[in-house]
Amino acid sequence: MSLLSAEGLVKDFGGLRAIDDLSVSIDEGELVGVMGPNGAGKSTFFNCVSGVIPPDDGTVTLDGTDVTGDPPESLAHRGLVRTFQNTRELETMTVRDNVRLAAPDQPGERTLPALVRSGSMREHEETVRERAEELIETFELDHLADEYSSNLSGGQRKLLELARTLMLDPEVLMLDEPFAGVNPTLTGEIADHIRDLNADGMTVVIIEHELETLTELVDRLIVLRQGRLLVEGEPEAVLEDERVIEAYLGGDAE
Amino acid sequence: MSALDRLPSGRGDRALIAGVACLFVGGLFALTPLQASLPSALYVFVEVGITFVIYGMLVLGLDLQYGHTGLVNFGHVVFFAVGAYATAMLAAQDSFSGIALGYPWPLALLVGVIAAALLGLVVSATSIRLRDDFLAIVTLATAEIFHSIFVNFEGVFGGNVGILGVPRPIAALVGDADTRLIATILVIGGITLITLAAVTRLTDAPYGRVLRAIRADELVTRSVGKSTIVYKTQAFVYGAALAGLAGGLFALYNGAVAPGFFTIQVTVTIWIGMLLGGAANHRAVLAGLAIIMGLRLVSRFGLSVTPVSGDVFAAFRLVVVGLILIAVIRFRPAGIWGDPQELGVDQ
Repeated sequence: MSLLSAEGLVKDFGGLRAIDDLSVSIDEGELVGVMGPNGAGKSTFFNCVSGVIPPDDGTVTLDGTDVTGDPPESLAHRGLVRTFQNTRELETMTVRDNVRLAAPDQPGERTLPALVRSGSMREHEETVRERAEELIETFELDHLADEYSSNLSGGQRKLLELARTLMLDPEVLMLDEPFAGVNPTLTGEIADHIRDLNADGMTVVIIEHELETLTELVDRLIVLRQGRLLVEGEPEAVLEDERVIEAYLGGDAE
Repeated sequence: MSALDRLPSGRGDRALIAGVACLFVGGLFALTPLQASLPSALYVFVEVGITFVIYGMLVLGLDLQYGHTGLVNFGHVVFFAVGAYATAMLAAQDSFSGIALGYPWPLALLVGVIAAALLGLVVSATSIRLRDDFLAIVTLATAEIFHSIFVNFEGVFGGNVGILGVPRPIAALVGDADTRLIATILVIGGITLITLAAVTRLTDAPYGRVLRAIRADELVTRSVGKSTIVYKTQAFVYGAALAGLAGGLFALYNGAVAPGFFTIQVTVTIWIGMLLGGAANHRAVLAGLAIIMGLRLVSRFGLSVTPVSGDVFAAFRLVVVGLILIAVIRFRPAGIWGDPQELGVDQ
């Protein structure tokens, strides 16, 4: 059954149609890659689905519910979490606080429990801390836990962002270029993490330019071009498709 | 766990205990025949001290808004003024000008806090989505609009004269001037300390983590499931309500309110105090405010020993304040006790 689907999405920026009648469907437990040349509308597609910008037309459905235009915070509660192309860390917070922040349903995030230091807040915070430590350890950031995240390298930021999103235990994880600017060793590690998460049942959608890693990783590839769906299917088949080669290597546009 | 790690623990509880103790001792002076005597040389210190503890509530609210949440509020004085005027108009009896309704003062104080909070809510509802500098302009404009309303609607707000005849609960209980001053500073200072305890608890809890995350990057905070608009509105309204409380207490201490007490000078003083001490650190902003107000006190003595006229001296004082601000921004952009990494102002 389709867990996340977009039907007829349209988004214009002034005179430019960034995505044009795009329909994509992603099944539960799938690991899907989204690729396409620069300007193909990959990030706009992500932004429209994740509520960062509202689409001009079309619908987004998550687990059977229409979530078109819902803000990111309510999508996060429904189990859809994303990362950003240029890693966005909370630079003025420590690695620990970055990860802990994402914990859902913390009663201490409301005024009254915070003021009276309620028991439920403290108990919850204990579990939040344990879970955050686990994630920080999993992503090998433990030696940096007390560093402000502004001091992290590009690759470490990618790891931190992943750890932070996992704090929410999402059903659908949307990763916008998780390997960009990351060295090959770390790329391999991040890919392993993603594979593990998917093996545990998480649905993952990845935008990536690093084709080699992506094709090895995903079950299915979706290729966008000029805001439209160009080709989709098994990675090997897609990469050999004439239209994809043309889109990437040039040739006559239209 | 390191020092950077904020546990929701006992921090701020000393302030709570001290605040309750101050209120208790202040209450003793006010309600029992117990008397205090104060050398007359210290009068001026206690008077500035009372202003300090009132402004302390303002700076704590502003720190919640700007220091923690990153909301730039350049019109904080308006909430102070609205709290003061609402309290004064409801509680005053036989004011020379403006409206005086003569209700009991506790009710008036409560209405003062609510009025300021409501204004905060209105400003939030219209403007909280604006980016930093635009919110700054809106709040600055709000303050100026209200200032001229207070001056020009003479029938309601008493014009430049303001509202007189506001009851002074502590003065009504204590006849003796020395005891009255001591009781006032203890009671209002106690309330400021309790405010400090409350905001410390709030910002040490996961609640504060969300506020600081909004300051760092609002979109990320939203994408991990926090309704940032709700938090920004709450922080703004809480700051406004605290300013309203400070205003109400000021009216009940001063016995009168007038536009001259609520000029942009108040906003400037608390902003400089906050930046000087170090935003996002409650005790630091209070210390910063103490420094800037202490400077004013010192310069008051300075006037009597310098051979220049009052006008020249006042201008000179502003120059000094400006120089201090420049020095802070140049050499310690995070303030004296502020954390440059936490505020994102690496030197």
